[in-house]
Amino acid sequence: MQMANPVPSACCVVLAAVVVVYAQRHSQQDTRVQYERIGADVTMKCGAMDWDAAVTWTVNGSDIDESHLNGSYLVLRNVHLGHSGQYSCYEGSSWHLKYQTSLKVGTPPKEPVLMCRSNNYPKRFYCSWHLPSPTYIPNTFNISVIHGTREMVCEKEAVPKNRCHIRYLQLFSTVKYKVTLTVTNALGRNSTTITFDEFAIVKPDPPENVVAKPVPYSPRRLEVRWNNPSSWPDPESFPLKFFLRYRPLILDQWQHVELSDGTSHTITDAYAGKEYIIQVAAKDNDIGTWSDWSVAVHATPWTEEPKYLTTEAQAPETTTSSTSSFVPPPTTKICDQEKVVGSGAVAVSWAAGLVLAAAGVLFI
Amino acid sequence: MDFRAGDSWGIFAFLCAALWNLPAVPALNNTDEAGAGQSIQKTYDLTRYLEHQLRTLAGTYLNYLGPPFNEPDFNPPRMTRAEMVPSATVDFELWRSLNDNARLAANYRAYTHLLCYLRGMDGQVAKADLRKSLGHFCSSLQGLVVSIAGVMSSLGYPLPGSLGSTDPAWAHGPGPISPHNDFLKKMDDFWLLKELQTWLWRSAKDFNRLKKKVPPAAVTLRLEAQGF
Repeated sequence: MQMANPVPSACCVVLAAVVVVYAQRHSQQDTRVQYERIGADVTMKCGAMDWDAAVTWTVNGSDIDESHLNGSYLVLRNVHLGHSGQYSCYEGSSWHLKYQTSLKVGTPPKEPVLMCRSNNYPKRFYCSWHLPSPTYIPNTFNISVIHGTREMVCEKEAVPKNRCHIRYLQLFSTVKYKVTLTVTNALGRNSTTITFDEFAIVKPDPPENVVAKPVPYSPRRLEVRWNNPSSWPDPESFPLKFFLRYRPLILDQWQHVELSDGTSHTITDAYAGKEYIIQVAAKDNDIGTWSDWSVAVHATPWTEEPKYLTTEAQAPETTTSSTSSFVPPPTTKICDQEKVVGSGAVAVSWAAGLVLAAAGVLFI
Repeated sequence: MDFRAGDSWGIFAFLCAALWNLPAVPALNNTDEAGAGQSIQKTYDLTRYLEHQLRTLAGTYLNYLGPPFNEPDFNPPRMTRAEMVPSATVDFELWRSLNDNARLAANYRAYTHLLCYLRGMDGQVAKADLRKSLGHFCSSLQGLVVSIAGVMSSLGYPLPGSLGSTDPAWAHGPGPISPHNDFLKKMDDFWLLKELQTWLWRSAKDFNRLKKKVPPAAVTLRLEAQGF
């Protein structure tokens, strides 16, 4: 072993560095990305090496068993996603890197799913798309929008990536829009086309800030208010109509009300004391389709506060009002404030008391 | 193009209201300012009723024309002859900035011409029941024209000039119908129905705008005419 003499050692170091750089540059020329279909048979050649050369293949740094070799060729049969990785080929004895490739296993694209919608008519409409199943390799999307003889530009949005929008230049068009989306990747391409009238794709966003409140002293009413969706640009010229649905939590059947104007409604047939779930949807008055349902709100109609009684005999009565049934709240609490004249008279004076109370509320 | 039971019921109500009021429409030709708002509402209701009626009529008529006219994706290019039908298509900013007079006049002219073309179409249809439906639709469309005229006169606007004045080419009627090219004739019919449908959609929006400008309890309408 040579030792001690610094000049030959320095030369060795420099020589080694040169060799490494050369090898690296060489290997970079041979580094590539290779795309293959799932289920295909893949044969990799070790660069310019002869078939009968002695080589070693590795995948992601691990040696590959010789059973996969045909001479110096690497043969992978019926590849699947697990085969994706960095494949390298080294010359047998010198362990020079002769070839390197990054194998990516995937599929050609299936027919994409494309939809277009306008939630801010008459300003713009957008188109969005996705692939029904993943390809596992990079895809590029190209969209074209044709309106009559004119090709329109669909401006891509940064977020989300698979969406673009188009401004309406003209309104009330008789000519349909034709939108074609093409998906391309290294293994193939596919496309889909949809055509639609300007009006057909109008679908507002759901109403916002839906609020439902009980109405004091009205045990069967609920007051519901909401706002137009903020994305709808011009409710004055393009008014929305609304669809309200409500049901008590304990029932499955919805009740529906369609409202042609205004952003509030009073439900007048609620079951007393039951918690309700309420939703609202919106639609342009004349065209397009209904929005999705708004966020659900819950509300319970006003019920009279149970009065905590001082007499022992009537104390147990107050607990019955919390059971879940359709029985109206017991009236003994009111009765005990009236003069006890007789059962019929009690009912009459109870009704009179309610009327007076309602009149009093109105005058406040 | 689907509509729910609620829409049908609403349309039925409009139908009754519209038909009941149709005989009274000529009587709106007065300068009663408070009536302007109500007649705008009635005209709006009429456009909705007609739009509904047209859906049924167009479906039947396109089936009568046969393929490809009755195919849902049929989207042919406009041909020059078809351009004789007045188009509802308009630049967005232009549409928004129309004053009330211009807005009403555009509607009035369009339906006058569409009615004329439709009557021409009526005369050549072979099937009797289709002719009857077309005839009924023409009467309703006539009612719409009269209603718009009523709104214009109650707001103090002059009615646009009659056919044959300085209007563009399509003002001069359908023109000679070539008996040799049956397909071209069918294309014309297709575009006529399409344009009619689009106009009815547009009119709903036009009258919505007018409703806002002229509420039922109308104030000084001379000011309105000079305003927006």
